[in-house]
Amino acid sequence: MVGQLLNVNNRQKVLHMARKMDKYEDIIENRRNDLINWNWSTRTLRTQVAVKIYPRPAPESHKLAVLHAPKIRELVDEISSKRNIKKEIIAKEVVEILEEIGYKKSLKVIRYLSYALTKIFLNISSGIFVNYQGISKIKSQMGNRPVIFVPSHRSYADFIIFSYVFFYYDIEIPAIAAGMDFHSMMGMGEMLRNTGAFFMRRTYNDDSLYWSIFKEYVYQLVCKGDLPIEFFIEGTRSRSNKSVTPKYGLINMILKAYFLSEVPDILFVPVSINYDRLLEENLFAFELLGIPKPKETTSAFFKSLSIIKQNYGNIFFHFGDPISTRDILEDKINRTKYSKGPTHIHEINEEEKRVIPILAYEIVRKQQSSTVISYFNLIALILNNHITRDQNTTSLHELCSEVRILRNVLRLWGAPIFERDIEETVLETLMVHKGLVTTDENQTIGLITNKITTGKLNADKLKAHALSENTISYSVPFITLQIYANPVLHYLVDGALVVIILRSVGEMAIDDLFKHFCFLRAIFSYEFVLLESWYKMQFESSLNNLLGQNIIICKNGQYNIYENKYFEEVLISSIQPFILSHYVITEMLLKTAAQVDEKTIFTNAQKLLEEAINEKKMFIHPYCMSLDSFGNCLGSLGKMKVIEKKQINGKNVFNINQQSIAKVKRDLEIYIPSFHVIKSFDIFLHIKSKL
Amino acid sequence: MTFPINVESAIPKHRHQLLKWNGWGYQDSKFVFKDNEVYFSGKRYPIGELKLPHFVGWVTNVLGIDALKEQTHQPPPTNLDYPPPNISDEIIKTLELLNLSHSLNVMDRVVRAHGHTLNDMFILKFGKFERIPDIVIWPECHDHVVEIVKLAEEYNLVIIPFGGGTAVSGAVECPIDERRPIISLDTSQMNRILWLNEENLVACCECGIIGQDLERTLNDLGYTTGHEPDSYEFSSLGGWVATRASGMKKNLYGNIEDLTVHIKMVTPKGVLEKGCQVPRLSCGPDFNHIIMGSEGSLGVITEVVIKIRPLPKCRKYGSIVFPDFEYGVKCMREVARQRCQPASIRLMDNDQFKFGVILKPESSYFGIMLDGIKQFYITKIKGFDSDRMCVMTLLLEGDPEEVKINEKKLYNIGSQFKGVPAGEKNGERGYMLTFVIAYIRDLGLQYNVVAESFETSVPWNKAVTLVRNVKHVVIEECTKAGIVCFVINSRVTQTYDSGCVIYFYLGFNYSNIQNPVEVHHHLEEKARDEIIACGGSVSHHHGVGKLRKKWYPETVSKVGVNLYLCAKKELDPKNIFATNNFVDSVPHSKL
Ligand SMILES: Cc1cc2nc3c(=O)[nH]c(=O)nc-3n(C[C@H](O)[C@H](O)[C@H](O)COP(=O)(O)OP(=O)(O)OC[C@H]3O[C@@H](n4cnc5c(N)ncnc54)[C@H](O)[C@@H]3O)c2cc1C
Repeated sequence: MVGQLLNVNNRQKVLHMARKMDKYEDIIENRRNDLINWNWSTRTLRTQVAVKIYPRPAPESHKLAVLHAPKIRELVDEISSKRNIKKEIIAKEVVEILEEIGYKKSLKVIRYLSYALTKIFLNISSGIFVNYQGISKIKSQMGNRPVIFVPSHRSYADFIIFSYVFFYYDIEIPAIAAGMDFHSMMGMGEMLRNTGAFFMRRTYNDDSLYWSIFKEYVYQLVCKGDLPIEFFIEGTRSRSNKSVTPKYGLINMILKAYFLSEVPDILFVPVSINYDRLLEENLFAFELLGIPKPKETTSAFFKSLSIIKQNYGNIFFHFGDPISTRDILEDKINRTKYSKGPTHIHEINEEEKRVIPILAYEIVRKQQSSTVISYFNLIALILNNHITRDQNTTSLHELCSEVRILRNVLRLWGAPIFERDIEETVLETLMVHKGLVTTDENQTIGLITNKITTGKLNADKLKAHALSENTISYSVPFITLQIYANPVLHYLVDGALVVIILRSVGEMAIDDLFKHFCFLRAIFSYEFVLLESWYKMQFESSLNNLLGQNIIICKNGQYNIYENKYFEEVLISSIQPFILSHYVITEMLLKTAAQVDEKTIFTNAQKLLEEAINEKKMFIHPYCMSLDSFGNCLGSLGKMKVIEKKQINGKNVFNINQQSIAKVKRDLEIYIPSFHVIKSFDIFLHIKSKL
Repeated sequence: MTFPINVESAIPKHRHQLLKWNGWGYQDSKFVFKDNEVYFSGKRYPIGELKLPHFVGWVTNVLGIDALKEQTHQPPPTNLDYPPPNISDEIIKTLELLNLSHSLNVMDRVVRAHGHTLNDMFILKFGKFERIPDIVIWPECHDHVVEIVKLAEEYNLVIIPFGGGTAVSGAVECPIDERRPIISLDTSQMNRILWLNEENLVACCECGIIGQDLERTLNDLGYTTGHEPDSYEFSSLGGWVATRASGMKKNLYGNIEDLTVHIKMVTPKGVLEKGCQVPRLSCGPDFNHIIMGSEGSLGVITEVVIKIRPLPKCRKYGSIVFPDFEYGVKCMREVARQRCQPASIRLMDNDQFKFGVILKPESSYFGIMLDGIKQFYITKIKGFDSDRMCVMTLLLEGDPEEVKINEKKLYNIGSQFKGVPAGEKNGERGYMLTFVIAYIRDLGLQYNVVAESFETSVPWNKAVTLVRNVKHVVIEECTKAGIVCFVINSRVTQTYDSGCVIYFYLGFNYSNIQNPVEVHHHLEEKARDEIIACGGSVSHHHGVGKLRKKWYPETVSKVGVNLYLCAKKELDPKNIFATNNFVDSVPHSKL
């Protein structure tokens, strides 16, 4: 019985977390008062390495090791005899590829960069906050096994700032897995390489030589390297400012060393990053709509830097407790099978691939649940809620009191939020976001709309429907606002789902409630990343949370909506655009042929939503046109085996199980009545009428 | 010489008259902690009666020993401590009729109820065995054994063969839930050398002969077996065969399986032996290999024809210091590749190197790991880090010429791996310590320290990672268990063509730990799991016994387990030899 497991312990744990949250320090604080800073950049470094090895391996040694690895040598022989090319020529190719991949270390570059970055940060940011206890805990555990830092990926700036944090704390800057697109930024690539970046091609073709070399290189870094390693498990920057489902490519390569017992353990350190203001905020909004990012070039990067002679507010890092691979996987797999034969002939098998998600999702979960929530995240959530109710502006006073309520509750629910004077901080953060939110002289606060101009868009390059310029410029501010509300959703989504269920279906016992919850949670398992094995835990703690705020009540074993109307609305409105987009996608899938390609689905969905929005009969949140959400929906439906993804001519094509999708749609419709609460029930009727 | 030779054993029939009843070795030999100083008592070993100035500092620093916290051990057991023996008068009468020496005395039974695992020692000092033998019988020849086995068959009694009782696998312990009367068949009185053939260089010995007796007697005749397990002062020939023992000098003389030419084993179905005494045989599966390693579970080994060699003319020690363990292992590997191993070659890691130092009697002014000048040369001139360097010890035997050539070759190979010769004395001390180290555990148990060793064999390519991983796991698990003071160190103790043997010591201070033996057992289990995952084996020479059953099936395969069970069923259908080693449930046959 789920109910029996509910306990008060949970709430105590949450309280404990809330108290802890001020244990962050601003690492540029001292630089602000330091007139020179150069002395700091050139100070003597006593950096902590991941694995103490004598003598310390040089960057070149890893490349050499790959070149001489039996696996690569055998591959070279094979290609040479197959293609009838001299071995030396292939070997040369290997060397070239290794040069393209391999990291370097130049202390000089690191020092100069630290100096330049200090200047930049002092100009554009108010503070870089780091939970120093987390750092020192990791530092104390380093030295005897590979350590992998796994930050959430929110911006291009992530890994540069990340390296800066390491430099600050005297931790060896990791070997960082970066995409080749980064490298193509002229000059930047080599500079980053000199700080320890190694590069991975983005093309997923079957160039077996390249990928064998790359895998072997990573394997060498793990087995024989002394640097920590850093990679982004989400595989790409999250355009939505919330977690993306983990990708398994790199973690596979890293874990191989553990599976083959080449290392005793591997520590993964989940790190969450949150920006008061993202460098890429508008770009992301465009990308979510399907308007591709411009190619990364250094000049564009610097241009984007120059635009921002302004304040980007604070950046928050949270270093979570290291996760020991051994602790998680030790009894789930049997490593003994690799004890026979030369080590290099072994590749990890299906059994191991099946357990990797457990670890990968655990890392993402830890990232999510430690994300520091900024005051602007709260403001965005509040404004969004207002807008959903057709209330386009609010007063400073009202905003502050709502921030207070939200802050208190969210802290109880586990979110780290700094203790600050609310009004002061709200005003400060509104200044940072003055391009998105206005404050007029009467202290009326509202979203700035219709200020964005796009210029002519090349329709060929659009990923989905050719949205009108109008639509785009109308939508971008709303989408940007939602992007800033998104980091909070991790703390809200489970409660929101429970509320939606109870509001739509009416009172019910805990077991039924859990059944509904599981269905909805599965639908949103990509949008709000969560592994099924956690459903129960999350469900239970969200019930506790809701009961604690009088949002729901339990009488004689029956759960129902209770008296906290305000919070009920906040919860429902917070995930409304997501429900809408998921609903529309299921509708689209139901209406199309048994096999359909991704672009068609996306295009049709956007087209429909664009029309609905433009009619302006009522407010429909433009975020529901987000391709990211569409993709998430397809992802979770795929996982539920309602649809099946295939690659045909490089395109994603889906086979649709019509019966299952019809059922999903019917099930989703059950929850539509909840939208009465925020007067937007009509949205669905409206959209339905258009189908 | 006249045969048979009745060897007078160094160890009396009632062993506890000379040996500790509750610890390792001779009563008069032990580490003594007095007036904040430690010395080793007695004159039997070279460090006897000498003060060990570095000892106290080390044990207080590393193991957190508190001189004031001395534990008192319980007095020897009396009849009140154990249930009366479950032996009928009828059986006693029969034994008397057969003229078989026996004892029902509780002390005789208790000292044969165990081997030398940590658990055994802890029970002797602080607890009580759940099951001890009901009677001890001392056969004096092969025929006696045949009689005893017959008797056991007839009355459905259990026999556990007992040699020197040095097993560290739980092999000699009585199965706790055995309800039938248990006989401890002590082979110590079967210790004659029946004959010796100088032409073939073999000697036929009874199984109970103890290593030191065998060697002493053979030495007097100008021979040696060259078989020298670290326990050879107390372990028996039959025990070696029954556990597949391995001696320190196996490179020159071979392991027990290379040394034995012919074996006789009494089983409930009769005597298993070969019809000829030849150097090698192609005649189907070699049943000697069912006897060897059978750990008392299939029958009693009564007589063994063992190879002997003329005593070497020259014996020389040596040592080489390496900057770190990996260089040392690489050197070991190269020596094995060139097959120029001397009688013994061992590589101690840094911690074991340092540990060896505490047993140095004299205090030296220039640092304690190496002798003054050498220390200076190696750390200052060669730049070795005293927290990472490790030492290889060598024992060379043979003709002086050969020894010289071999020695040169070894130092040459050493220098290819940054090795620096560190003198004969360091080597000699290393080997001398081998025999006294076993005494340290008793001192530890007096001051809240539990310790045990474990070993494994591993292919060369996995040796270094195995050592690293196992240490890591032990450290992690110690931390998890709340252990603050502990030691985990290792050495490469043997080399082969395709791999080597690693020997670990693990000990910790249990002042703050509830069930030290359980915790130690848990640590060892985790360590063994890691060993197996890293490509190591369940054991190179200690055997499986009861302690390492967990890993038996995956080591020999399911078919292998069944094959063993079939042999067991065929040779011993009533499960007379109910040692309960290897497999958990040897089905009891119904009577
Ligand atoms: C300090 C120390 C150092 C050691 N060093 C080594 C070493 O270097 N190399 C090594 O190989 N081992 C070593 N050992 C382990 C142990 O000494 C060996 O396993 C040894 O062979 C056991 O001989 P034992 O006579 O003491 O046999 P026991 O302990 O009496 O018996 C061991 C097993 O063999 C059976 N057995 C004994 N005699 C017979 C027989 N005649 N017929 C049938 N079964 C019999 C017993 O039932 C039992 O199952 C060491 C142990 C200690 C405590």
